[in-house]
Parts: sequence; C-alpha cells; structure tokens
Amino acid sequence: MSAALLLARRGLGRSRVRLAASVGGVALALSLTLSLDAIYAGVANQLTSYIDRAGADVWVAQSGVRNLHMVASWMPEAVTDETRAVDGVVEATPILYSTDTITAGAERSVAYVIGLPAGAPMGGPWEVVEGSAQVGRGEIIVDRGFAQKAGVTLGDSVGVLGGEARIVGLSAGTASLINSVAFVAFDDFRALRGEAPVVSYVLVHVAPGASSESVASQIEATVPGVTALSREAFSAEERRLVTDMSADVISIMNVVGFVVGLAVVALTVYVATLARRREYGVLKALGARNRVLYRVVLTQAALSVAAGFTVGLAFTALLALAVPRTGSNLELALGIASIAKVALFATVIAGLAAVLPIRQVAGVDPAVVFRRGVAA
Amino acid sequence: MLIARRNLLRDRTRFLLSVLGVAVSVGLILLLAGYRSGVYRQSSAYLDNTPGSVVVAERGIRDFLGTSSVLPGGAEDAVRATAGVERVIPVVSQFVIFERHGRKDGFFLIGYDPRFGGGPWKLVEGREPTADDELVMDRTAARQHDIVIGDQLELLDRDATVVGLSDETTFWAGSVAFARITALESLLRSPGLRSFLLVAPEPGISPETVRRAIDVPGTEVLLKGDVVANDAALMARVYDAPIGLMVAIAFVVGVLVVGLVIYTATIERRREYGALKAIGARNRTLYRVVTAQAAIAATGGAIVGVGLAYGAGAALMAWRPQFLVSIETSMVVVVLASSLLMAVLAALVPARSVATLEPAEVFRG
Repeated sequence: MSAALLLARRGLGRSRVRLAASVGGVALALSLTLSLDAIYAGVANQLTSYIDRAGADVWVAQSGVRNLHMVASWMPEAVTDETRAVDGVVEATPILYSTDTITAGAERSVAYVIGLPAGAPMGGPWEVVEGSAQVGRGEIIVDRGFAQKAGVTLGDSVGVLGGEARIVGLSAGTASLINSVAFVAFDDFRALRGEAPVVSYVLVHVAPGASSESVASQIEATVPGVTALSREAFSAEERRLVTDMSADVISIMNVVGFVVGLAVVALTVYVATLARRREYGVLKALGARNRVLYRVVLTQAALSVAAGFTVGLAFTALLALAVPRTGSNLELALGIASIAKVALFATVIAGLAAVLPIRQVAGVDPAVVFRRGVAA
Repeated sequence: MLIARRNLLRDRTRFLLSVLGVAVSVGLILLLAGYRSGVYRQSSAYLDNTPGSVVVAERGIRDFLGTSSVLPGGAEDAVRATAGVERVIPVVSQFVIFERHGRKDGFFLIGYDPRFGGGPWKLVEGREPTADDELVMDRTAARQHDIVIGDQLELLDRDATVVGLSDETTFWAGSVAFARITALESLLRSPGLRSFLLVAPEPGISPETVRRAIDVPGTEVLLKGDVVANDAALMARVYDAPIGLMVAIAFVVGVLVVGLVIYTATIERRREYGALKAIGARNRTLYRVVTAQAAIAATGGAIVGVGLAYGAGAALMAWRPQFLVSIETSMVVVVLASSLLMAVLAALVPARSVATLEPAEVFRG
C-alpha cells in the first residue's frame, strides 16, 4: 500500500462520525440521481407490460400511431381480414382500446380498457389469479390491486365506459404507477361506443420461422392506412415515450444530484484536511513535498466517494426492493447505463472536491507541529 | 451564543460550505415543491381559461386529462335544452403523440367549434383553424421542435398545417393544441363524437343549480372546480411518490451536512469545552452552544437556499419554458421550519461527544 493511500485511509478512518457523514452524504446525493433514473426506467417497464405480455408478434395500428399509452387508434373493421390475408400471418385478433376511468364504490382508477373478442387467442390477461380469463357480455376482468383497494371481488359490479360490468376475473401484473388494465367483451365495448364499425389494434401471430419485422413490413405494404410494428419495435417506441418526455426532468435532477454530491464531498474532504493540519505539518517538517500531500487529499476524496458510491448503489437497490412492498405501484429499475453515468459523476466530484483543500495543504507551515494548542 | 458564533466563524470556508450545504438542500426541496405545484397549475390551464363553470363528462369520468371521455349521442342537445343553461361549449379531447426530429412529444388535442368557443385563449401568432387539416399549437412546443407557421405535422394518419401559435398552453407532459371539432371527429372515426361539454349558467343562476338541473343518462355532471381538483389528484398519484422520495433524500443530506460541520467544529474545540466543564459548566449549557451553532448554520443556509430556489426556478423556466415553477409562500415557511428541524437533528451528532468529555482534558498536554 502506498504511503498516500495509507495516510488517506488513516485520515478518513480516524473519525468514524465524520467518515459516516461523508460517505452517507455522497451516497444520498448519488442516490438522488440513481433513484430518479430507476423510477423512470421502472415506469417505462410498466408502460410496456401490456405490449410485452399480450402475446402478439406484430401490432397493427392506425397509420402514424406508434404508441399505446393514452393514445387513440381507430381503423376500419376490414383491416382485420386484410391483415389475416397477408403472407406469414397465422392469426389476427382485433381489439378495441381506450383509456377510461373504472369505478367501484368510491374508488376510481384510470385503466386501459381492452375490448376482447370471445375466445381471443391473444390480447387477454396473462395471469389470472381468481376467476375466469375469458370475458362474456356484461363481464369484466380487473386488476387484483384495484379490486382490493375498492373492496370488490368476483360478482361485484364495476363502472366502465359509461356502463356497468360484473367482475368475472382478477388479474395480476396489470397495474402500473399510472393505470391498470381492464378487459371487457368486444361487443360491449362497441355498443358503449356507438356501434362504430372500427377496431383499435390488430394483434398478429406470425407463422413459425417467419420474422416479425418482415411480416410487419409486408402488412404495411399490403394493408392501406396502417402502421405495423413487431412487438419489440412497438415496445421500444413506448419506452421512448418515457425517455423522450422525461429527458428534461432527468437532466435537471442529474445537475441537482451532482451539485449536492459535490458540496458534501468537498465539505468533508476539506474538513478532514483541516483537522489533520498537524500531521501534514509533521510530514512537511520531515521533508514531504506538497505533491505528496495533494495526493493524500485526492486519495481521501476518492476513497470517500468510492465508498459513497457503493453505499448509494446498495441503498437504491434496497429501495428498489422495498418500494414495491409498500403497496404503491411505483417500480424502480436500476440500469447499467445509469450506474455508469453516476460512477462518472462520482469520479468528477472526487476530483473537484480535492481541489478545495489544496491551498490549505500548501499553506501548512512545518513549524505548526511545534506549536501547542492546535487540536488534531 | 457568543461561543457558538465564534466557533462557527473561526473558519470562514467551512462555515460557507456548511451554509451552502443547507442552502442546496433547502433550495432543492423548495424547487421540487414549486415544480410540483407548477405541474398542478398547468394541468388546469385549459379549464381555467375556457368559459363555463359546469362540466359534463361520460358517466364515471370525473377528470379532464386522464381519460378519453365519450358522451352519449344527443347529450349536447339535451344539455342545451336544460333550463338555466346559457352557453354550451362542446369539445373533443384526445391525447396525441407526434414525433419531430426523432423525439416524441405529446399533445392534448382539443377539437372545438368556433361558433361556441373553447379554442385558444391567447393566440400570439397566426390565426385559428378554418379547415379540418389546420392546427394551432403551443408556441413553446413549436420553438422546441423548430416548427413555424405553415409547417406540416403528422397527426395519426393525416397531415395538418400549423396556422397559429398559442401561449399559456404548455404542459407537464406536452402541450395543448387546437383543431376544429370536425377534424377530431374524422381523425377518431367517430362522427358526432363529444368528449366534454362546458356549460355556463344564465346570469343570476348558480353553477350548482345548473349542475343539479342537468339530467342526461350516461353522463357525469360536475362543477369545474371539482374537475380541476380531480386532475390534480390524478397528477399527484404519478408525481408525488418520486418527488416525495427526492425531498426526503434532500432533507437527510441537509441534516448530514450541518451535523458534520457542527461535529467537526465541536471536536476541534474540545479543549475549550473541557475548560468550560472544569469551571463548572453543565452539559446542558454545552448542548445549548452546539444547538445554537447548528441553528445559525441552518438559518443562514435556509435563507440562501430560498434565494437559490427562486434563482434556479427562474433559470429553469428560461431554459425550458414548458416547466412552471411556482413557489408558494406557505412552502417557504414549511421549508424554513424544516431547516430548523435539520439543525436540531444535526446537533444530536456532536452532543454525545460533548457529554462524554472529561473536564480533565483541559489539563492534558
């Protein structure tokens, strides 16, 4: 171990409280950035869960529609048959879709309402924990969390699309921070929306061995007025909705996390240096150059930032585990890119923080060691 | 108090850093709170600026922004025929996502009928749409996407020309845009579609009276103020958890910074505290010195932090005009109080080391 490292470690380790405050401060500041990134990544995950789990290989929407969240997509009914006739398509299921408020008692909640044809091979709930996975006329499948909050169960009535439906199934994994997913009969949806001969999306199964991308382009080329995307592409478009629309908020938080982290590390390194003035004086009296002392200070900053980064990462990971257990639909997803970004932040912070006490170190008079009364 | 001040001010840099630490933390909390209330204020912009004090929506729907309301056919005529109703503004609203320069953005597209109102209330450039393929969009959103009047925008499966730019229509998740109501009917393949009706009562008749008088099956009739509150509650569900988390972290950082500074200042002056004890000072007196130090640092930090929040808020709004940071006086009071709480918590850190101090320390070499 180099002398600088040893001195830096001893300097830091001497006061436990100071070390804890410094590491804790850095950890929290970095968590600020990490957890915000994780929140948005979590929201993006939740947002795409219906697209990812509905079972379709290709999604067909009204031309120009490349998203699901809160948007409208309305195509003439004939699109389903036209899609079914395209090479490589083995199954095409139309769904109706709207963002609506579902109500039960005093509980009201925003939901993607999906109108599902009888016996639909895709587009339905992927995990039914109670009751049926099929909806008939006058029936609805709602998320288990909504039912629990509203205090309703199988057989109870729910307000949806301006009408009423009876719960026949409870699904899991269908709730996000923003909304849940509810499933009603296709014909009910259509009746409540004025019987217009339209569909929202057509979900497609492609033939075994066929590529979803090429079938999607084939559909776009053959069927007029539609946009067709493979599940992966559609899901990526939906993720971009979150990243594009939250980009500004995230960059603001990044700046804030960075500044707070910098302030905390600068303060602790400065304070630590100040407190070790006598020792630095001894070192100088023994002939150590300023360069060596700088290195000690820089190492101290690097050590506390590294420890802070580790703790911050652990804290955010813990938060990611704990938050979903609180019953809120908030999900935190830690990504490699965001960890790398914050690690870079930490490195820059350590470098900048070490600059501050340099004058202090350079200004130490070797004679200080011979004076009495300077507390260590 | 004197000892506290002397202890703190002995090292100016350290004192400044501690004030800065609190300031950053307080400023951050205030900025987040201001951002949150700005989000709420923006969310009601359309309803606040459009006439009418009663809102008619699809049954079960009580907010304006979160969902796609569809009124039963004939609802508009029925409401118009209701006694006490002076004016009915029909609107179709739909969230639409568009893409420009590889970046997605969202519109709350409002379809309105110029005969009845409900269009842009502050048109700063151009004119209102006169054809179905025309559009008025928010000025800030247009600037961000390099859109000028005359440009074409892809809206679902057709193109629309931007003919006007409006102000005060920027939004937390996009902006409000305006088109003719017939344009939305055809875009959504729903002839005659009405999402909401904004109703103004005749002079001398209260909104509540009209609200009770309107009786159309399949609809929800609400006071506009309630719809605005419901929109805010909807937003709170999405925003409050992340913002709460950030505020909590900022608060703890503030406590840590003050705690650390006071602790170091205390440790450095151990000999002095020892001397005080040796001449008979009680622990209580020493605690008071420590707490006073924390309070001075926290108060200084809080004052700087409030200024910081206002400055950062103004800078943020200049940089990204779609954000509204609206810092309310009540928040400032809460944050100042919380900085004092920070000080008290922070003072706990060095309190123990003061209490365990041996008076004999002073006599040691």
